[in-house]
Amino acid sequence: MDLYREDVMDHYEHPRNQGELLGDDVIAEKESNASCGDMVQFYLKIKDGIIVEVKWKGIGCAITTAASSKFSEYLTGKNLEKIKSMSEDEMVQDGVGFEVNPGRMKCLMLPVKVVKKIL
Amino acid sequence: MYDPATVKKDFPILKREVNGKSLVYLDSGATSQKPSVVLDAERIYYEKHNANVHRGAHTLGDEATQLLETSREKVAGFIGSLAKEIVFVRNTTEAINLVAFAWGLDNLKKGDVIVSTMMEHHANLVPWQEISKRTGSQVEVVGLTDDGRVDMDDYRKKLKLKPKLVAFTQVSNALGTINPVKEMTKLAHDSGALVLVDGAQAVPHLKVDVTDIGCDFYAFSGHKMLAPMGIGILWGKYSVLEKMSPFLTGGGMINEVYLDHSTWSEVPEKFEAGTPNVAGAVGLMSAIDYLEKLGLDNVREHDKEIVEYALTQLGKVTNLVILGPKNSEVRSGSVSFEYIGVHAHDVATILDSEGVAIRSGHHCTMPLHNYMKVVASIRASFNVYSTKEDIDKLVEALGKVKKVFGK
Repeated sequence: MDLYREDVMDHYEHPRNQGELLGDDVIAEKESNASCGDMVQFYLKIKDGIIVEVKWKGIGCAITTAASSKFSEYLTGKNLEKIKSMSEDEMVQDGVGFEVNPGRMKCLMLPVKVVKKIL
Repeated sequence: MYDPATVKKDFPILKREVNGKSLVYLDSGATSQKPSVVLDAERIYYEKHNANVHRGAHTLGDEATQLLETSREKVAGFIGSLAKEIVFVRNTTEAINLVAFAWGLDNLKKGDVIVSTMMEHHANLVPWQEISKRTGSQVEVVGLTDDGRVDMDDYRKKLKLKPKLVAFTQVSNALGTINPVKEMTKLAHDSGALVLVDGAQAVPHLKVDVTDIGCDFYAFSGHKMLAPMGIGILWGKYSVLEKMSPFLTGGGMINEVYLDHSTWSEVPEKFEAGTPNVAGAVGLMSAIDYLEKLGLDNVREHDKEIVEYALTQLGKVTNLVILGPKNSEVRSGSVSFEYIGVHAHDVATILDSEGVAIRSGHHCTMPLHNYMKVVASIRASFNVYSTKEDIDKLVEALGKVKKVFGK
C-alpha cells in the first residue's frame, strides 16, 4: 500500500482544524505515544448533542498528523451519541479513512485514542 | 582478506526479499541475524541431546549438562574470565536486574548513591531507579560532551559523592560512542565503588577482556552477537558474586530444602533458578566459535571501516544531522541521525518500502534523546555481514524520502 499517497500528504502538509478551543461546552484530552515522542490534543465543542467544532494540536509524524487532520474533519457536525457508539475500528475505517502497515498503527490510532478518552 | 559479502552468504535470512526488494538489514544493534552454523547447533542439540540439566543420571541428561558447562567455559574464554564467574541469564536486561536486586537490596541504604550516565540504555537506568526507590538511595547521572562522549569532568565530580556502585555502557547503542571503560573503572574503584559495565553493544564488535577492564560485573546478550534470542550472560567477580543473595529462587539453585528454610548451590548455579536455556547456550557457543573463526581483530577492523564509510556517505546527504562522535576510532556498531523536517518513523516506513531495515524512535534511550533535544532518531547498525553496498542502498533509499517529503 502507498502510505504516503497524495491526500495523506496533503493533510500532513496542510493540517485542517489546528488550534485550541475554550469554553464550558468544550471537552478536551491529550494522549501521547511515548515511544515516538508524539502527542496529540483534541478539543470538541458540543451543542445540543452535536459536535459543532473540532480543533486539535500536537506534534507527530506524517501519519499521526494526517490522521488527526482527517479525523477532525470527519467528527465535525456528527452526533455525539453516534460517535460514542463507534468502535475504534469503525473510527479508523470511517473517520480516519486510510490504512497503514501494522508497525505504524500506533501512529494512526493516536487521534482515535484521544477521542475515545474524551468520550 | 576479510570479505563481508562472503560472510553474508552464511546468513540465510539475508537472502530474503522485503517489499519486493532485496533485504538490506541495518538493524543489527537491535538484534543480529544468525549464521547457519548457529541455527544448526540449536537444532542438533534438540535432535540429539535434549534433556534437563543437573538432574537424573541418564545419558542425555549428562550430555545436556556437559554442553551447558562447555558453553560456560567457551564464554569465559571469550571474555577472559573463569567459568565459575559466568551466570547464564536471558539477556543484558536480566543480568543488570540480577545485580540491581540481588546486590542492590542488600547493599544499598538511604542516602547511598549509584552513578550512571546520560547515554545508558533504559536497561541500565530503570533497574537502578527501581532499586533506589526501594532502598532510599539515589541515582546520579553523568552528563555528556557536545560530541556525545561521557563528560569526564562531570564523572569525576559525581564520583566525589562516594557512590556504592557505578554503572555505564561500554558502547552506546544510540550514539555508537566507545567509552574509556578501563579508565572509568579505575576512577570508580578509587572512589570505593563497584563497577557494572553494560557490554551489550560491545561484545559483537570489540575484543572484550573483563580482567583487563577490571570491572566487577559485565552484562551482555547472545542475540546481538549472532547467537539465538533468550540467552545472555552476567559475568561477576567470584569474590563479589559469592557474597550476594540469590535473585530468583526455586529449582536448580538450591543445595538443601526444608519446609522452613533452604541453602543455596555454589556460584554460578546459585543465580540460575529453573531450567536454563541449554539450546541457547549451545547456540552461543557456536556463535563464539564462528566469531573466533572470522577473527576478532578482523571483526573490529571491519566494524571501524563500515562505521567510517557510513559517516562519510551519510555526511553527504542534505538534511541529515549525525549524532555522536565523528571519529570512527571511538565509535562502534552504528550511526544514528536525525532527518530534519521528517519524523523518524516516516523515514523508517519509506526505507522499509525499499527493503532497508533500520531502527527509528529513541532506541530505548529516552533521557538521552530529551537531553539532545531530538524527538526521535534513525539508527543504521551493523554486524559482520554489513557491506558498503548496504550503506549505498540506504543512501539511495533516503533519496526516496526526499522525493516524498520534498526535503
